Amino acid sequence: MPVDINIIDSLNLFEDLSHAELEEIASLMRRIRVTEGEAITRQGDPAHTIFIILSGNFMVFFKEGRSYTLHNKGDIIGLSTVVIPFYYTGTAVALSDGVVLSMPGRELLRLIESNPVLSDKIMKKINQIVSARLPFVTGGC
Amino acid sequence: MYGLDAITANNGWHMAALGISIVFTGLILLSFTVAQLHNILRLFDNRDACCKKIRGLFKKNNNKQEVGNSDLTLPNNIKEAAGQCKLLIERIGEPFSLPRLIELSEKCGMSHPCSTINDLILAGFIVPDGKGYYVWNQDDQNRSGA
Repeated sequence: MPVDINIIDSLNLFEDLSHAELEEIASLMRRIRVTEGEAITRQGDPAHTIFIILSGNFMVFFKEGRSYTLHNKGDIIGLSTVVIPFYYTGTAVALSDGVVLSMPGRELLRLIESNPVLSDKIMKKINQIVSARLPFVTGGC
Repeated sequence: MYGLDAITANNGWHMAALGISIVFTGLILLSFTVAQLHNILRLFDNRDACCKKIRGLFKKNNNKQEVGNSDLTLPNNIKEAAGQCKLLIERIGEPFSLPRLIELSEKCGMSHPCSTINDLILAGFIVPDGKGYYVWNQDDQNRSGA
C-alpha cells in the first residue's frame, strides 16, 4: 500500500525535504499494523529495517533491563540501520496496537549516499536522536 | 362469646392485619437492605472519595479543579491495574525495569499487561528515572488512593 506523501512530510525527520525527495522516500516505505506485545526489532539481529511510528506506543529495552518508551508520531525505531553497529541494539515491543512505517535501511542508506544535501538534513537529525538514546544503550545515564 | 364473634368484637381482625403488615414491612426492609449491602460496603470502602465528591458539590468555584485531581476521572480498570502493579513493584523494588514489570504482570495473569502498563505510564503512575529505569509516582498514588 503506497504511503501518502503528506504523512511523510508531517514527520519531523523529513520536514525539510523537497517534494521530489519526499516522493522518493514515500515510494520506499510500507505501512505496517502492529499488535500489542509484538516485537518489531530484536536485540542482536542485523538491522535491516528502520521504523517510524504513526500511531501506538512502544518500548525499546536493552540488556540489564534498561528501557525507554516512545509515544509520539514520528518517533523512530531501528536507527542502527543507518549508524554503526548495524545490528539492533535493543528490542522494540509494541505496548499497544499501532501503525508504523517501515523502510529498508539499505534503501535509505543508498538514498543518503547518493544525495549529500539530503544526507546532511537527515543525518543531522538522526545523530541528535542517537546521542539522546545512547546512554540507555551503554548504561551511561 | 366464643370463636369468630369474639375475634370480631375485640378488633381481632384489625390486630391480625396490623401484625401481618408490620411483619411484612419488616421483611421487605430487611430484604432491601441485604440487596443493597454491596453498595453500602462499596460506599464505606470509598468513603474518602465520596467525601471529596460531596465537598466538591459545595465548592462551586473550585469544582473543575476538584474533579480534575480526583480519582473519579480515572477508569476503574486503571485504578485496579495501578493497585496490582503497585504490589508487584513493591516486590521487585524501585527503581525497577519496565520489561521485568511487564513479564511479572503477565506471569501474574494480568490481561493485556503491555497496554495496561502503557496506560499507567500515560496516566503518570509510572515515570522514568532518567537512567533507563522507572519509579512509582507517589503523588499519583496518593491522589488516586491506589
